[in-house]
Amino acid sequence: MGARLSAMIAAGFVAAGLAAAVAAPGLARAAPDADTILRKAYDNYRSQSSQSAVAMTIHRPAWERHLDLKAWTRGEDDALVRFTAPSKDAGSATLKLGRDTWVYNPRLNQVIKLPASMMSQSWMGSDFSYDDLAKSTGIITDYTHRLVGSSQSGGHAVWTIEATPKPGAPVVWGKVSLAVRDDYVILEETFFDQDMKPARRMNTGKVGLVGGRPYPVSMTMSPLDQPGQWTRTDTADARFNAALPPWLFTLSNLQNPR
Amino acid sequence: MLAALAWRNLWRRPQRTILSLISIALVTALLVFMLSFQNGVYGVLKEATLRIFDGYAQLQPAGWADDPTLDRAIERPVALVRQAEALRGVSAAAPRVNAFAILAHGARSYGAAVVGVDPARERQVSSIASTIRSGRYLTPGDSDAAILGETLARNLDLAVGGEVTVLGEARDGSVAADVLHVVGLYRSGVPDLDRSILEMPLARAQGVFGMEGAANTIAVGGPSLATVDGAIPALRTLGHRAGLSVRDWAVLEPALSEGIELKYTVAMLFYATLVVVVAFIILNTLLMSVLERTREFGMLLALGMRPGQIGAMVWIELLGLALLGCLFGLLLGGGATLWLQHEGVVVPIDPRLLAQFALPARLYPTLTPLSALFGPVSLLAAIIVGGVAPYLRVIGLTPALAMRAP
Repeated sequence: MGARLSAMIAAGFVAAGLAAAVAAPGLARAAPDADTILRKAYDNYRSQSSQSAVAMTIHRPAWERHLDLKAWTRGEDDALVRFTAPSKDAGSATLKLGRDTWVYNPRLNQVIKLPASMMSQSWMGSDFSYDDLAKSTGIITDYTHRLVGSSQSGGHAVWTIEATPKPGAPVVWGKVSLAVRDDYVILEETFFDQDMKPARRMNTGKVGLVGGRPYPVSMTMSPLDQPGQWTRTDTADARFNAALPPWLFTLSNLQNPR
Repeated sequence: MLAALAWRNLWRRPQRTILSLISIALVTALLVFMLSFQNGVYGVLKEATLRIFDGYAQLQPAGWADDPTLDRAIERPVALVRQAEALRGVSAAAPRVNAFAILAHGARSYGAAVVGVDPARERQVSSIASTIRSGRYLTPGDSDAAILGETLARNLDLAVGGEVTVLGEARDGSVAADVLHVVGLYRSGVPDLDRSILEMPLARAQGVFGMEGAANTIAVGGPSLATVDGAIPALRTLGHRAGLSVRDWAVLEPALSEGIELKYTVAMLFYATLVVVVAFIILNTLLMSVLERTREFGMLLALGMRPGQIGAMVWIELLGLALLGCLFGLLLGGGATLWLQHEGVVVPIDPRLLAQFALPARLYPTLTPLSALFGPVSLLAAIIVGGVAPYLRVIGLTPALAMRAP
C-alpha cells in the first residue's frame, strides 16, 4: 500500500513520459507481464523528487474532517508531510527517512521518533497507517505478481494483478489485488487479510492530468470492516523532478521549517 | 423392627463398625475441607487478579471488547457511576478514559495505554495505587500528573519528577498531545501491565483526548467479588438503559476462568476416585459380614423372614453406617474448615513473593453449601448404590443351602 500513499502525496509520475512512449498510441497493446506492469506503475510514482498540495478528507459515521497538507518526496524512501489546515492540526508534520519516521507536534514543539510498535497505528486519524507511509516499495519487493485478467474500460485496457507475499516476507496482508490501467495508473487496490478476506480497498475516483501526465487525482481508502468510514485524498497541485534542497529532509527542518 | 435389627447387628462387631465409620468420616472431612480450601484459594486468586486493574466487573460500550476505540464512549458517566455505586454489593465504580498513545522522553518513545482515572474511585477498584514503588499515586487535586509502570518508565528512561510526552489521537481524529509530570511508578507484578499502562487524571485525559466529559469504561469494585457478582443483574439493568454491556469477571479474565475450571475438573476426578475407593472398601467389609452371616440368614429365612426383608435389613445397616460416618465427617471437616476460615492457613511461601502478586500470606478456606455437601452426599450415594450387591446376594439365599453354609 505504501507506494499508493507516497504516490498520492508525492505525486511522482516521473516515468510517465517513458510509459507513454512504451505504450505509444496506435500500437497493439499486448499485455506485458505482471511484474513489468507493477514496476512501471510504481516507477511512475517515484520521481527524483516531487512536491504537492493535497486535501485529505477523513470520513467517520459521526464526523468528517478536512485537512490540507503539503508533501515533498525524494527518491523512493524520503518524504516530508506538513499539515497546513485546519488550525488545530496546522504545523503537525511527519518526516520519513529510509525506514525511520518522526512526527513533529507544534503544540509540544517536540519531535518524536515513532516506535516500531506504533507503525501500524493510524496516521493523523486517517485510514492510512504510518506503515503505509514508510513501506513504499513493499508491494514490488515483498510480493510475487500474477496477471489474472484484463478488461476494457473507458477506452483503456485494465489489467488485474494478484500479488501474493513471498515466503517469509515481513508483510501483514495475505494477498493484494490491483487493477492497473494501460497508462499505468492504478485504479484499485484491494488488501486481503491472512484469511483471504478483503480487509480494505483503495479506489481511484478520478484520473486527471497533473504536470501533463495521467494521475490518480482523487483516491479513497476504505476499511471494509468499518462501513461508513473512509479517507479520500485529492491532489490539488503537484510538481515533479524540481530540485529540492537537501535541508528539507532533516530533523531540524521538521521542527523549525525554513 | 428392621431398623432396630440392623442397628443391633452393626454393634455386634463394634471394632469393624467403628473402623468403617472412621474411614467414611475421614474421607468426608477431607473432601469438605479440600473443596472449601480450593474455593478459598481460587476466590483469593480471582480477587487478587481482578483487583490489579480490571475491577470485579466492567460497564463497557457495546462493541468495546472487540474494537476499543475512543468513539465508543459512555457519554454521561457521572450519573451512571452514582447509580452503580448505589447498588447493593457495589462499593465503587471508577470511570476511565482508555486511550492509546505514543509516550516519549528524550529520544525514546514507546506505544502505551493511557488511562484517565478518577484517583479516589480508582483506588477502590484497582490495587495499582498500593503497588507504587517510588513517588506516590495520583490524588484528586492532580492535573498534569502521571503514574506509570516501572518497566515502561525504565524503557523510557524516566524517573519520578521526569516529564513524559503523550502523543495520540483524540476522539475527533485530531492530534492529542500533552506533557505530564511523573509522580509515581508502580510495580503490579503483572509484566504486561508494568510495561504498558500510564494513568493520568480523568479530567485532563478527557480534555486531551477530546472526550468532553465522556468515559470509555467503568470498572466496578465491591467488598468482595461475590457481592459484585450478586449485583451483576442490577448492573445489567442499569447498563441496558444506557446502551452498555456488563462484563463479569469470567469475561474480563477468560484465561483465569478457564484455568480455575480446569483445576476444579481435575480435582473432581481425584475426589471421585477417593469416593469410589472408600465406597468399595465399605462394601467389601459389608459383603464379608454378609458372607459370614449366611447361616444366620438361613436361620432367619427358616423362621419365616422373607428374603426381601433380610436384604432390606442389610441395606439399612449399610445406610446407617454411611449416614453416621458422613455426619461425623461433615462435623469434623466443617468444624476444622470453620476454624481455619477464622485462623487462616499459613502458606509455606515467602510472604514478600506473595505480596508481589497481591496475595495474602494466609489463605482462608471458604465453606459453602456446595463444598460442605458435595463430599458427604456423593459418598452416601455411592455406598447406597453399591449396597445393591450385598442385597442381591441376600435375596438369592434359600434356607436349606444357607443353613448348611460353613
